[in-house]
Amino acid sequence: MLEYQNLFTRVQVRHAPDPGLPVRMGLTGARYGKGFFLSLAGRIGDAQVGPIYLGWAGILSLITGFIAFEIIGLNMWASVDWDPVQFIRMLPWLALEPPSPAYGLSLPPLNEGGWYLMAGFFLTVSILLWWVRTYLRARALGMGTHLPWAFASAIFLYLSFFFQPLLVGSWSEMVPFGIFPHLDWTSAFSIRYGNLYYNPFHALSIVFLYGSAVLFAMHGATILAVARMGGEREIEQITDRGTAAERSMLFWRWTMGFNATMESIHRWAWWFAVLTTFTGGIGILLTGTVVDNWYLWGQKHGLVASYPAQNTLTPEQQELLRGRYQGSTPDSFPSYLAPTAAAAPIMDSMMTDSAAVDSTAVDSTAVDSTAAAASTATDSTTSTPGMTP
Amino acid sequence: MSAPRDRFLMVAALAATATLAGCDYFGKDRAGVQTGYRGTAMEQVYNEPAVNAEFAKVVIPEALPAVPPSTDSGPLPWQNVQVLNDISVAEFNRTMVAMSTWVAGTGNCGYCHNLGNLAADTTAKGEPLYTKIVARRMIQMTRHINSQYPQHVANTGVTCYTCHMGKPLPNGLWFYASQNDHLRHYLDRDGARVISHDMSPSDKNRSSVKQTEWTYKLMISQSNSLGVNCTYCHNSRLFSSWEEAPPQRVTAYHGILMLRDVNTNFLAPLQPVYPEVRLGKAMGDAPKAQCLTCHNGAYKPLYGAQMVKDYPAFWGRPDWNGVPFPGRYMQAAVVDTAVTMADSVAAPTVEVAPIPAGTPATTPSTPSVSSRNSTPRSTTGTQR
Repeated sequence: MLEYQNLFTRVQVRHAPDPGLPVRMGLTGARYGKGFFLSLAGRIGDAQVGPIYLGWAGILSLITGFIAFEIIGLNMWASVDWDPVQFIRMLPWLALEPPSPAYGLSLPPLNEGGWYLMAGFFLTVSILLWWVRTYLRARALGMGTHLPWAFASAIFLYLSFFFQPLLVGSWSEMVPFGIFPHLDWTSAFSIRYGNLYYNPFHALSIVFLYGSAVLFAMHGATILAVARMGGEREIEQITDRGTAAERSMLFWRWTMGFNATMESIHRWAWWFAVLTTFTGGIGILLTGTVVDNWYLWGQKHGLVASYPAQNTLTPEQQELLRGRYQGSTPDSFPSYLAPTAAAAPIMDSMMTDSAAVDSTAVDSTAVDSTAAAASTATDSTTSTPGMTP
Repeated sequence: MSAPRDRFLMVAALAATATLAGCDYFGKDRAGVQTGYRGTAMEQVYNEPAVNAEFAKVVIPEALPAVPPSTDSGPLPWQNVQVLNDISVAEFNRTMVAMSTWVAGTGNCGYCHNLGNLAADTTAKGEPLYTKIVARRMIQMTRHINSQYPQHVANTGVTCYTCHMGKPLPNGLWFYASQNDHLRHYLDRDGARVISHDMSPSDKNRSSVKQTEWTYKLMISQSNSLGVNCTYCHNSRLFSSWEEAPPQRVTAYHGILMLRDVNTNFLAPLQPVYPEVRLGKAMGDAPKAQCLTCHNGAYKPLYGAQMVKDYPAFWGRPDWNGVPFPGRYMQAAVVDTAVTMADSVAAPTVEVAPIPAGTPATTPSTPSVSSRNSTPRSTTGTQR
């Protein structure tokens, strides 16, 4: 009997599939199928599979999700010239990329980011419809709406990756669809905004993420440890002495002086999980809109430990060594289709005029290096116009 | 009841020991070298056998016997000598012989020269000898690098062999293509910086995350070219900081400036000289260099072998570690440069000029592409 009630069930009971509670048709629609038993499912959970409810939100969510999936997949396949072998081989690296920065927030052609926006639209619709579905299901069963709201927190983080690009004015900030490409994006996003580790909301998000894992491990381990006393039947035991419920609470009280209750441990877990994505989303929304360099923000607020300089460069030299910003203008993103100065030949100085040649060969003590460099530059610029096609 | 538990504990202990031993086994070849302040993870990780294997692959050709110092002055006794005309006859010949193995790989003068007339810039059939024209420009480039970029090449310097390593086509040549667009930083796209130097957003820096990925790609290509980690040049807690960067980053930055100069003024402009087979497939551009071209995966090309010290002809600076070069090179200062110029200009303008100045350089009708393809090429077409 204990084995049957345990989480990892070795005894599976077979009976006529249970259709579930009778609920009002208006709210729920129909349930499809009668249900069947699967031994494998029974090893990790309930052996009964189905019946399943879809409803209008579920059906539309699956359709729009499928459209997004197809757009992403077909674009990836097209990017390897419809080669099925390459598609499988390169799949982890293939991507459907957002529009380039040149487009700002305007609508790009399909193959330059239009497909991306379309896939993003359908994926978002699909996710929102799935949320509607979880909400309706919770209400139909007379449950609280904790699940939909926890899911909403994750959706908030997902939507932050849409709102942040809107706020900074460029689709190109958005996350590419692809396995490694979306990981590369996280790295690039952190580097671009001066190291996201100094973003306090990023830090909070990590705290809640790791905290969720710890809480989950503590709670899971505790309940499993008292399963021999029927610990999963929390509510039946909660008021009695010597039960699994009391022992599990005493364990933590004796170990660390404080214990959560059978109810509050689930609130702890819920809030940690919800705050992981919620603080993460706030961190994203502040990035590039309020703070452009989190390292400097951290420096200003005393977060950054200071170490001795690694070199002897003076501030003036450091200033000289600064390169140009890559995206000083929004449309400066490279396009390999229109290279300039590919062949601005300086043929005359190259083949016939050794006066220009001599400036590069520093053979005279009179010529110092800066003068030689200057004369080279002059020679090439003066001789270029005649040769430019 | 206790027997299975004991057995379990024994197996667990054995497994733990094996795991720890495994870590040690896999770790024994790794050498971590601390390069920055303690606790900042500023270190280089080397796999010793792998580095040793790469090191063993590098073959440094033995230097040809040095020639005695010469005191002769005046122009070289040949026609159409546009470069290397400030060294002695013996040094000139020695340099030519060295180049025939460094670049052609065969020791064959005919890779660049018309053997019937060594002064000619055309083959016996009158077709342009592109290998010679390119080689001439590359000699100027080598001197230019050694003289103008001591902050990058220091006293190690470069020779033809640094990149060519006995092959006509060096490694890592690149052409315009969507896959290597980031390499255009070394030619016609300045600006790789994406991290703001101000805390708050402004229009000064409109770089996007996508542009950051472009820079990222560029940086990783440098990392791969030199066989080093990011922390070789950066403190990764703020990549843009020069203050926290190791000094190697300054050397690397001058390398970027050098590549941009070399690609813009020496390599890309040779486009009209090359036959079609040497040009990029997408845009028909000339082959260009990147970090990999010289470094070949080593933090210093040829692991820092100083070849140029034996070849004063390629050394663009008047001194070598404070020791003056022997020979005519040092006397060039007293020769009137105007005379040298006039002498060497006269011949080529009459004889050569495969592409007369003023002709649109990219017009296909200039010295026909098909005829150029018949010029001798021993090991061609493999690098593309």
